[in-house]
Amino acid sequence: MVPEIGGIGLTKTKVNKSVAEINDRIRRGDAVVVTAEEMVEIVRERGEVAAAKEVDIVTTGTFGAMCSSGAWLNFGHADPPIKMQRVWLNDVEAYAGVAAVDAYIGATQLSETHGFEYGGGHVIEDLIRGKKIDVRAIAYGTDCYPRKELETTITKDDINQAVLCNPRNAYQRYVAATNSRDETIYTYMGTLLPNYGNVTYSGSGSLSPLHNDPNYETIGIGTRIFLGGAQGYIFWEGTQHAPTKTMGTIMTIGNLKEMDARYIRGVTIENYGTSLYVGLGIPIPIINERVAKTTGVSDDEIKTDLTDYGAPRRGRPILREVTYSELKSGKVEINGNEVLVSPLSSLKWAREISGVLKKWIEEKRFFLSQPVEGLSTDQVFKPMKQITAVPFVRNLMTREVVTAKPSDSIASAAKIFAKRNFDHLPIVDAKGRLVGIATSWDIAVAVGTGKKKLSEVLTSKVITATEDEPVDAVARKLEKHKISGVPVINARGELRGILTNQDLSKLLGGRGR
Amino acid sequence: MTRKVLLRYSTQKATEPILASVIKKTEILPNILYAELSTKGGEILLSIDAPDKEVDKTIALFKRKGVEVQEIKRAIELDRDSCFDCGACLSLCPTGALYMTDDKSVELDEDKCIYCELCVPSCPVRALKLSRF
Repeated sequence: MVPEIGGIGLTKTKVNKSVAEINDRIRRGDAVVVTAEEMVEIVRERGEVAAAKEVDIVTTGTFGAMCSSGAWLNFGHADPPIKMQRVWLNDVEAYAGVAAVDAYIGATQLSETHGFEYGGGHVIEDLIRGKKIDVRAIAYGTDCYPRKELETTITKDDINQAVLCNPRNAYQRYVAATNSRDETIYTYMGTLLPNYGNVTYSGSGSLSPLHNDPNYETIGIGTRIFLGGAQGYIFWEGTQHAPTKTMGTIMTIGNLKEMDARYIRGVTIENYGTSLYVGLGIPIPIINERVAKTTGVSDDEIKTDLTDYGAPRRGRPILREVTYSELKSGKVEINGNEVLVSPLSSLKWAREISGVLKKWIEEKRFFLSQPVEGLSTDQVFKPMKQITAVPFVRNLMTREVVTAKPSDSIASAAKIFAKRNFDHLPIVDAKGRLVGIATSWDIAVAVGTGKKKLSEVLTSKVITATEDEPVDAVARKLEKHKISGVPVINARGELRGILTNQDLSKLLGGRGR
Repeated sequence: MTRKVLLRYSTQKATEPILASVIKKTEILPNILYAELSTKGGEILLSIDAPDKEVDKTIALFKRKGVEVQEIKRAIELDRDSCFDCGACLSLCPTGALYMTDDKSVELDEDKCIYCELCVPSCPVRALKLSRF
């Protein structure tokens, strides 16, 4: 079978090298290997044809949080045997719905006793480090597997297979994140300060493995890679693979027992959860000048969207496009302000990995593999199909709201509360813009302390919502700030309604009315 | 050299302009990194950039005025063995005490740290530790 690699119309090239020829050069010790960072300069100076003639292999690297990672483990059979129905490793549950003693430990699964501080990612790192792992399992018991409970301690040497097997790794690039809200938010993109207070991003830019061969001319199923300090493989396109949006991903696999904990780290992302930092590098064989050109990609040419993670929706607003070279400079401009940037993925480690891979090849410890099949170049990432409507603030809010002015007297406000059955009195200015809020409790205190005007007691820093916000996002706000209602405002700050716990309770009568 | 000094005083002392009078007398200009007053008393953390002798004199003056003085030697620590230079902390640090070097390593400049502690929980591998003072 002729392997079909690459999805683009393959035009004739001036330079043509095969992977087999390149491997021969590695064997002879005269292969020219450079890192992707070094290749940028070579292509810029000499052009892609000369670069393709001169260079045989470009090594890439990345070291970032790759949440969609995990490991398959086989524990061997106990005596009497057990068919593990549920299994925990250091109190982190692994998926055991596969035969009797196989389990998949996922990076983001949290410890049942330590929460965010310890998770599947940490279990994987501890296994690689050779640490002892407590195993606890339960089962319903069968004639062939009579045992119902099991407790033991293992290391990676005690078990059969331990295979790192990651459904989605090495995103070609990723969006950069910031936060428009007036509060700090905690996301998988790290801690985002209020009012566009910082920016975070991920990916290694010009060193990014998939960005060095975005046409998948050399990368495919069966490509041998650097994975966690060992030699691993690409075995499929990654989940959410979106090559047309330059957001390609790969599925990777490798022997966990051979890996180095320097390149596989369990982590905690603040107030978000656990994950796994995965060190990954792909060697790109320079088979022609087209590939030489793509490996010459620089940080200036790799663009991504600066995205507002303050919006609790799937379609997050995009502020503008940024390049990886802006991001790597450590500062990005937003609305005329210079904002500090956090890389999240380690550029130093990415560089190190591309260097280690280069060294392996030069020392004839790593040979390239010819993929057995290409990866999709037109796969589209679809959103989830949902069959129930999600309620928004506009569907539930109360529109007829009694309001007051800051100059109104406490006595008149007290009268309003006495007459009507509600707890929140939004205070608006002459143009109907929200300037504060007073609760029945504020008024009671005002009466008791002899205050005269609403302006003396109103809370001016008000937690608000907008009409197009999902109700779930507002429920989270109420819970977080321990409040019972929020005024709903538009972009101009004008009051549109109010959403309270009472409105939310309507949901219990039937969601999405 | 910049030295950091923590002042502790009783609630009774809170009404006296101790800090102002020490500044007036010594003419050194300390930077207030953090200040708090509660029912248990007050705490002020100062960063003093002056010759050692001057700082010693200032400390002695505070003590004479009945203020408990403690010098902060090392309050925040970056464990280079566990840090892998991801830089998650960099954009949270308001003073640039945490910064990236040209070779993309994360470094900590103690003198600039104001102990806001934003970086501590942001570190994915808990490489930033705060020793309580």
